[in-house]
This record gives sequence, C-alpha cells and structure tokens, in this order.
Amino acid sequence: MIKAVLVFNNHGKPRVSKFYQHFPEDTQQQIIRETFHLVSKRDDNVCNFLEGGTRLNSLIGGSDYRLIYRHYATLYFVFCVDSSESELGILDLIQVFVETLDKCFENVCELDLIFHVDKVHYILQEMVMGGMVLETNMTEILTRIEEQSKIEKSEAGIAGAPGRAISAVKEMNLPQKIKDIKLPDLPSIGSLKF
Amino acid sequence: MMSDAVEKAFAAIPGLISGGLTTITAGSPIHVQGFPSFVHKVCSLTSKYEEEQVVKRELTLVKQRLAQPNITQAQQADCLVRLLFAHVLGYDVSFGYISAVKLAQQGTLAYKRMGYLACTLFLHENHELVLLLINTIQKDINSSNIMDVCMALTATCSLVNTEMIPAILPFVQEKLKHQKEIIRKKAVLCLFKFHRMAPNSVQHIHHSFKEALCDKDPGVMWSALHIYHDLIKHSPSEYQDITQSLVSILQQVVSRKLPADYEYHHVPAPWLQIKLLQVLALLGKDQQKISRVIHPVLAEVLQRSESNQNITFGVVYECILTITSISPDTRLLEYAAKCTGKFLRSKANNLRYLGIKALTKVIQVAPQHALDHQMTVIECLEDPDHTIRAKTLELLYRMCNSVNVKVICDKLLEYMEKDTEKSIKGDIANASLRGEDSVLLFAVQTYWELLQRKDVPNKLIQIGAW
Repeated sequence: MIKAVLVFNNHGKPRVSKFYQHFPEDTQQQIIRETFHLVSKRDDNVCNFLEGGTRLNSLIGGSDYRLIYRHYATLYFVFCVDSSESELGILDLIQVFVETLDKCFENVCELDLIFHVDKVHYILQEMVMGGMVLETNMTEILTRIEEQSKIEKSEAGIAGAPGRAISAVKEMNLPQKIKDIKLPDLPSIGSLKF
Repeated sequence: MMSDAVEKAFAAIPGLISGGLTTITAGSPIHVQGFPSFVHKVCSLTSKYEEEQVVKRELTLVKQRLAQPNITQAQQADCLVRLLFAHVLGYDVSFGYISAVKLAQQGTLAYKRMGYLACTLFLHENHELVLLLINTIQKDINSSNIMDVCMALTATCSLVNTEMIPAILPFVQEKLKHQKEIIRKKAVLCLFKFHRMAPNSVQHIHHSFKEALCDKDPGVMWSALHIYHDLIKHSPSEYQDITQSLVSILQQVVSRKLPADYEYHHVPAPWLQIKLLQVLALLGKDQQKISRVIHPVLAEVLQRSESNQNITFGVVYECILTITSISPDTRLLEYAAKCTGKFLRSKANNLRYLGIKALTKVIQVAPQHALDHQMTVIECLEDPDHTIRAKTLELLYRMCNSVNVKVICDKLLEYMEKDTEKSIKGDIANASLRGEDSVLLFAVQTYWELLQRKDVPNKLIQIGAW
C-alpha cells in the first residue's frame, strides 16, 4: 500500500502532500521533515530506494516502510510505501506521474505545483485511490483530466487568473523546469532470456 | 533557487501582481491580495519567523473573507487554494474546514470538486465534519453526471468510516454494474477500502468481488485483485479454485492479448503482471499441487521479459520472489538464481539492491546458490551506496555457514576497520548480539574458535566495543 505521496523542493519546503492513512497534522509534518532529512543527504547516483529507518517507522507505526523517490532538478517526488509494493513498479509510477504533470503544464515547474495544487491532486486521484494503484496509462489519465478541464472552462474558471500568471512566468524561460524527464537508459545487463 | 526565480518572474509582470485576481476579488469589501502575490511573498522569505507572520496575516484575512455572507463560490474556492498552500506548509487552517464541506455540498461542478478535494485533504474518516458530508456523497454517487459520481467515490474512499459503511455500501455496490469502467474501478476500490477497514461489513457481498474479478475490463479486474490479495493472504486455502483463472489471465497478459493501451514502454501491463505474481505467490505457498499449476506461467514470464526497461526488471524481480515463495521447482529456481546474478552484476544501483534482496530469498529455499554469488555479494560491501551496504550485511548473515564463515568474517572485520559510518557498524554489532540470529552467532562462535587456535590478535572483541 502507498501510505503517502510527498513532493518537496531542495530546501525541504513541501509543495504537495497526500496521506492515504490518517495521521495527525503534526505527525504529517514530522514525516515530511524526516523524509526530507533522509533523502536530501543522499547522492544523486545512489539507488532510489531507502528503508524507512527507526524514526520514520515509529512515526508511521510499522516496521516495513520504504521510501521510493526520484529527484528532478529542484524537486523530490517521494512515495512512502509498505513492503507489499514493488520498488520498480512505484519508481515507474512516479515517472508516469511526473510525465503527466509535464504534459499537463507544458514543462512543469515548481510554481505549477503551487498555483495548480488542485490540478496536481486531481491527476494523483486518477492514479492512486485508497493507497492502491488505480491507473498507470498516461493517455488515459490525461483524457480524464481534459474532460474535467472542459467542464471547468465552461464555468467561470477557478484558476483562470493564476493560469495567466503561470503562462507569463513560463515565457521568461525560468531555469526551474523539471529537467531530464526522460529516464536514463539502464545499462544493459544482457538479455534475461535463458 | 526557487525564491529568486519567483522574484524575477514577478518583477517582470508587475501588472499581474496587483491585478491578477481582480475578477475574483471584485466586489469584496475586504482587500485580499492575489494568490500569486501571496505565494511570491512567502517564497521570497528566508526566515521561518517572517514566513509565519505573512502566512498568519493572510490566514486571518481569508478567515474574515470566508465569514462574509455574500461570498461567491469562486471566492470560496480561491480561499481554499490559499488554505491548501498554507496547510501543506504545516499551518493550522481548521477554521476553513467547514467552508470546504459547504463547497462540496453546494458548489457546482468545478467548485464542488474543489470542495471535495479540500475535504479529502483536510479531514479524515473520524473527523466530526464528515457526518455533514454523508448526504452529499449519497446524492452525488447517484448523480447522472459521471464527474459527480467519480468525486463522490473518491471522497468515499478517503472519508467514510466504519459506522457509515452501511449507509453508503448499497450505492457503491450498485456502481459495480455501471457502464463506465472508471466508475466500476473506483467502486471496487471503495469496496477494497471497506474490506480493509471492516471485513465484516462487506462479508455478505463476496459475490460482488467475484463479479468484479470476472469483469470484462482488465482495469476493473486489476482493482479487484487488490481485494483478493487481502482475502487470500488471510485464508489462502479458501481461494485455491481461482488459481487456474489467474494463471490464464497472466498467460494472456504476457502473450500480449490485452489492448495496446495496457502496454507501458512495450511491456504488456507490467503493474498488472506484478500484482498477479504477488497473488499467485500467496496461493502457491506450501501448496505443491497449486504450485505445479503456477510453475509453467512463471517460466513464461521470465522467458518473455527481454527488454531492458526498468519495469521489465520489476516484473522479473517479482517473478523471482514468487518462485521462491511457492513450492520449489528445481529448474525454475535455477532460472531465478541465474536472473538474480544478472541483477547483482548490473551497473545500476537499483538493480543491485534488488539483486541482493532477491538472493536473500533464493538462498532460503536453495542455499546451494549462495556460493555462485558469494564474491559478488562480498564486493557489494564496498558499494558507495549505504542502502546497498545495509542490505548486503543482512544477506551475508544468512549466507554464513561453516564452510564460508572464515571468508565472510574476515571481510566483515576488514570492512569494519575501514568503514567510518557508525550506522553500519551498529548494524553488525546489533546483529551479532541479536539472540534470534542463530546463524550469525554460530558463525561468530566458529570464527572465534578459529582465531583462538591460530593465536591471531582477536579483533572480535572490537565488535563488542562498538
């Protein structure tokens, strides 16, 4: 089960957090801080998995928690999961999530996540429900988001004005796009065929 | 840095800051700055104290604004966006919870959605305000608008508590027959949640689970697998009869019988494959007859996993775990050990980490495979990655026997002298002190004798010292 999805920047400022199990507000903040503490001290060239460690386990209340994360430019995307989830499955789920955000916001940047935090959550809602993976096909997720946007546009848009702000910001070509969105190709370890 | 970038961006568009939200704020007697401007201010502050001042001032304004009798839905939604921003930063925004509930109740589409979203982020199943939402959820689940139904199901999954299940269950159950797959999928996941919270509450509708598992849409079937995973984990013997169906589903998936939509980087439905493998692992555990039904498809999964995609390795790894969980088949175990070797020798850290975990499982059922990889594993102790080193230690404890104890202990001691990281030393010391780790105790004792016999200055005392 996915216990939490956390997105924070290189300074540890949380931008998106979604917990699939209830924790009191202050515990949530502690989990975010502890997670940042654990992942931020890791080099970018080490593996993307991290055993929760005693502190995180005691915060969450279990013994088998793991952090699976990706670091893109200024942002960390962290999924906190129990031992029933596949590491590589979640890692590619994060990739699908980020690629979907990138498609939705055309070169997603940290500001998009702040101004359109609602939309980010709607995307996540299409992918994960009750801590379980719901959909992994990006085209399918995008179709659903577009359907929803159409309805929104037909009304007086909630996010109309911030939307304009974002496009103005984008035109300035800020250096904070989530770069390297493409997965680096894994070094070949030969065919697995026997 | 984020704040610099924001600052530059906003300096360049001064008109926006003052006028950004005029459409929304117009007519409001309380002046509220635009959201971008507020964010800009917060992001540009470096001290936590200053940030607190700005956010708290903003929250006071939002509070006043929400209390106005003539506030529009758009204004409420705008307020909620601000509250979400402050909430994720850890500020108390509980004064706004009721507004979120109201918007979910009374809002029209997009605003209703914003209200529901805020509710799912602010509230939890035992929050008192959730009671106020039950009627709304019931109404929306029955709406003819698909978006309403989706919203209500999503809210159900995160907000309904055990006592409310009976009031919602019939509506959710009805949605299992909805013509849209997405609705059926979400309804199944609601049932999954109910089952996790209170298995008794859904005991009488087990036939619905079965129908969902047999759904013509693979996505709905996949969602139903989550429920079956739990059911089988709890009482594996009761569900043996579905083994054959799951095996044939997996067979169809690997032979690309699913629509192309289910492919990810040319791998057929990898997440579904992983889930099926997990469920089969539970079914075949200690069941020789069942395991024999499963064996052929596992070989097929391995044979067909040829690409070098990340996710392919995810499927292969899961397959190795399944092979080691069910009643053993010598040929398959050999394949599994061979694949594990490829993980271990990979240059990618993620794969090496999984290789170590996989080998830990493999040698529990087939200890003879430990020797093939012994040197590769020992080398992993030198890995720059802490996660890999920690896992390697765990594996080495399990690999230890009277034959290789000297090699492994020598390496451990050598490693402990070099390693500066306290945590790993702690791991070794802890593990050697843990009573249940009889293998290591045995190993240490054996080595201890060896050392004494040879009059080597016994370094093992150091272990105690750490």
